[in-house]
Amino acid sequence: MIHLKQVTKVYPSDGANSVTALRELTLVVQRGDFVVIKGRSGSGKTTALNLMAGLTRPTSGLVELEGVDLWSLPDRQQSAMRNYRMGFVFQFPSLLPSLTVLENVILPTIFGPGLAPGEAAAQAKNLLATVGLEDKLTAFPRQLSAGQQQRVVIARSLINQPEILMADEPTSNLDEQTEREIIAILEKVHRLQGVTVVMVTHTPYISTPGALILELAEGRLAKQSRI
Amino acid sequence: MNVPRLIHRNVTRNPFRSGVVFSCAFLLAALPFAVTFITEGGRASLQRVLGRLGADLLIVPEGAEVKVETALLMGKPAPVWMPRENLDKIARMPEVARLSPQVHLATLAGASCCSASEMFIVVYEPDTDFTLRPWLDQHLGRELGPGEVIGGSQVFLPNPKANILVYGSPVSLKGNLARSGTGLDQTLFMTSETAREVARMSKTRAEQELVVPTNQISAILVKLQPGTLPERVAARIAREVSGVTVIQSPALFQATRRELTGLMRIIFVILTLVWLLSVTVAGLIFSLAAHERRRELGVLRALGSSRAFVFRLLLAEAAALAFAGAAGGIALCLTLAFCFQEAIVFLLKIPFLFPPPLLLAALVLGGLLVALLSVVLAALVPIWRISRMEPAQAMRE
Repeated sequence: MIHLKQVTKVYPSDGANSVTALRELTLVVQRGDFVVIKGRSGSGKTTALNLMAGLTRPTSGLVELEGVDLWSLPDRQQSAMRNYRMGFVFQFPSLLPSLTVLENVILPTIFGPGLAPGEAAAQAKNLLATVGLEDKLTAFPRQLSAGQQQRVVIARSLINQPEILMADEPTSNLDEQTEREIIAILEKVHRLQGVTVVMVTHTPYISTPGALILELAEGRLAKQSRI
Repeated sequence: MNVPRLIHRNVTRNPFRSGVVFSCAFLLAALPFAVTFITEGGRASLQRVLGRLGADLLIVPEGAEVKVETALLMGKPAPVWMPRENLDKIARMPEVARLSPQVHLATLAGASCCSASEMFIVVYEPDTDFTLRPWLDQHLGRELGPGEVIGGSQVFLPNPKANILVYGSPVSLKGNLARSGTGLDQTLFMTSETAREVARMSKTRAEQELVVPTNQISAILVKLQPGTLPERVAARIAREVSGVTVIQSPALFQATRRELTGLMRIIFVILTLVWLLSVTVAGLIFSLAAHERRRELGVLRALGSSRAFVFRLLLAEAAALAFAGAAGGIALCLTLAFCFQEAIVFLLKIPFLFPPPLLLAALVLGGLLVALLSVVLAALVPIWRISRMEPAQAMRE
């Protein structure tokens, strides 16, 4: 489904030195996989995820989604692909502070022709009920705990019924109990909806049978295993 | 949830940032609008006075043109005189169709025999007059009788049945001319017959006698035969009638026009500086805002908004603020001008009348466009830069 082919990513820095985040990395994510990317800080985990999602351009190599080179597509098509085929959960608080919980969940639907406004609202309410926040529709992000915010983000990531869910350390700022709950929600989404999940995480609470664990070190794939 | 609501929420969530851009747009629209509005108001006022005079030529005593113009525009009476025989000399010229003399007088300052202090009085001759004739025909349907006067738009009586006291004689106000935005709005118009009677009675009733010389006049209004070149007749009058200055109608109030133009030049320089400052401040605010909102915009891109969408979204936010600020600025200018029309005339010492509706609409549109384009121009570079950024790069701290 997603194929990184000999991908290298170099970040130019302010001085003469540049930082190589990934070195000729090749990896494949199959449809329906639950992929966990691990590694030490600076090993290139987030960069790999960003490359798979088309959020950053590789310095060299190819990123293919269903056999199509992502970076051969014009911005409009690439954006549309992210909009209706992918969902995102970020490490940092990514809700728009000026929008209510319901509006934040609906937000991705205004970028594409996907859902009609009424449909989008109904779908958003369903998703918020799924993550246990049906009573927070009109609340603003600042009125929610970090765990609740992350649940809203998960609901938002699913609004366009994506095939792939990209999560970048979704539990890094949460307490243990909330971390377990968030991981459980993501596993449930994978199990019940068949969504491919690619997650950068250090959590020990992954229990999905057959989950693919990719361990990166210094921008290379150091180890690959399955639960 | 839709795009307009997203724009509204983004614009209202940071009051300081939005307030600064709003203020810049306010200045960018209000200042040029106010200046052009006042100068166009001045021109409209001059146009109305010229139209009301209805003369092709105005003949005044030599060297008195500024005094006469000041009297007509500012209502500051300064009686000037020339021999009445000039009237006959000019009347004999075949190019002249009609001519009418005027005598310019003033009420006494701070005298109990005059209702108004130093009020400008224009004395006309009903037999030859063509300046007040259209108004009299339309509104009164007859000539002014003895002891009757008409006033400018600002001449009024607290009690409609009361009379105005002029040199001790009560005169009856029969109506008011439309507003001209000049000193004519505070002027009293009376026939020569009434003026002579007031002068006769002033010997006993007034603190100081009113003298209306029978062989002297202040100005002559001349209407030419159709197809006659005014400049040719003006030259002939200047040649054949000594001691007079001939002002052609388009050249009337030249001093005021020059003043308006001079004022415009100075204000133009100030406006340019304000424009530069406002555009710089707005540009700076948009740069800061784009930087501050990098992560949020990166998230929007990750969620599937295209570069073009982000560009249009930010541009629409800038335009919304610019429009609100500009509309606010123009609305305030119009409100102030409407409430303080008279103050504009007296404080700025220029004639002023609300410009005609079409011109006013064009000025409003122009003010809005200037602000809108300036703010959008200031926002363009930072917005373009942030929208070109890769989503991952934008989201990085």
